[in-house]
Amino acid sequence: MVVVRLPALLAEQAGGQREFDVDAATVGDALRALPVSDLLLDERGNLRRLVNVYVDGEDAREAEGLQTALSGAQEVRVIAAVAGG
Amino acid sequence: MGTLLLVGTRKGLFLLRSDDERREWELEGPLLTGWSVFHATQDPRDGDLYVAGNNFVYGGTVQRSSDLGQTWKRSEGLGLPEDTGLELAEVWHVEPGHPSEPDTLWLGATPGALFRSDDRGETWEAVRGLVQHKTRERWEPGAGGMCCHSIQIDPGDPKRMYAAISAAGAFRTEDGGATWAPANTGVAADFLPDPFPEVGQCVHKLLLHPERPDRVWQQNHCGVYRSDDRGETWERLEGNGLPSGFGFPLALHPRNPDVAFVIPEEGAENRVTPDGRLGVYRTDDGGKSWRLLEDGLPIPAWGSVMREGFASDSRDPAGIYFGTQSGSVFVSATEGEQWQEVARQLPPILSVEVGEWS
Repeated sequence: MVVVRLPALLAEQAGGQREFDVDAATVGDALRALPVSDLLLDERGNLRRLVNVYVDGEDAREAEGLQTALSGAQEVRVIAAVAGG
Repeated sequence: MGTLLLVGTRKGLFLLRSDDERREWELEGPLLTGWSVFHATQDPRDGDLYVAGNNFVYGGTVQRSSDLGQTWKRSEGLGLPEDTGLELAEVWHVEPGHPSEPDTLWLGATPGALFRSDDRGETWEAVRGLVQHKTRERWEPGAGGMCCHSIQIDPGDPKRMYAAISAAGAFRTEDGGATWAPANTGVAADFLPDPFPEVGQCVHKLLLHPERPDRVWQQNHCGVYRSDDRGETWERLEGNGLPSGFGFPLALHPRNPDVAFVIPEEGAENRVTPDGRLGVYRTDDGGKSWRLLEDGLPIPAWGSVMREGFASDSRDPAGIYFGTQSGSVFVSATEGEQWQEVARQLPPILSVEVGEWS
């Protein structure tokens, strides 16, 4: 079991819930289990360009991306990249 | 029934409420904070609100509210099929369907995409007849990124519809969206080698007249046009009192098909209202002549009004409404003769639509 933590805007879109306990083998499985998966992944199932995901503090993009294994992981944190105006 | 203005901004949705007089307005919002509301509209069939909202991180969504904005429900799985080779960029316009199809809505998006929902916005399916149109390779993306921003349904025939896409042109279907024909004859595309091509015209806004649906108007990158034959041929309507043919928004009178309103800008190279004033121009003769409406509008002013930022209601006298990129909302309860600023210092306004509340 891993806890996924969402930023405020996504929590609002998830019915006000900011943390989700999910049983998932990979980062992709964890994100797809969320009620805001469509906001994190595009229509091809790829992680949106400005969505960053950290597994216990490590950027999943620098690991295996959505295939990053979660065995033994405690926390998946979703953070919007610093961009825009 | 009171009058409800839906004001979509770059930073959320605002509502303005008034009574039939439309003089005192109460501001509510922002709702849907964090979302750029490209378009918000009320479905006249059931009173639900729909928002085409975009976020630069999380993409484009459609949100629906059945309680005038207190709670929202997001559409599921919005996107373009993989075999089109296209990916959804932004959502631009939600159009409620014909009254005979109460669960149907239409959604315009970039890149040059139209979607249909048959479950009141829960799920959306790409309209392949337009998305994969045979002329698509000749469409040229403009600054708006080839947005499908105008969707109009003939009130007398739900199978006849119009869709307009920036830098692609206007298209008409007679079979409910299965097949689409370009409807650009006589419309200029001065930025292309052939100034009168079959497709590629940069439509900025297209509206049909509800009482005379064979009459269609468009504000184009290259002029203001009217068609009296369902978009088969178009007549350019400028000079004659209009300071410029360039502009984005367009509004029509709810009953008189000869009356239309535009808010021109100097030109493509200087996108600001001309003559240092914020001016609305009205025609009473189908576009043969135009006159400036200025009572209550600011001077000096260098304004701009986006393509969705202009609306009219169906009351008598008709109310006319617009919102500026500087965050002001102007209302005329007198068909444009006098104007009142009813909100200011909002975020940049992207859309204005009028509805009802009780």
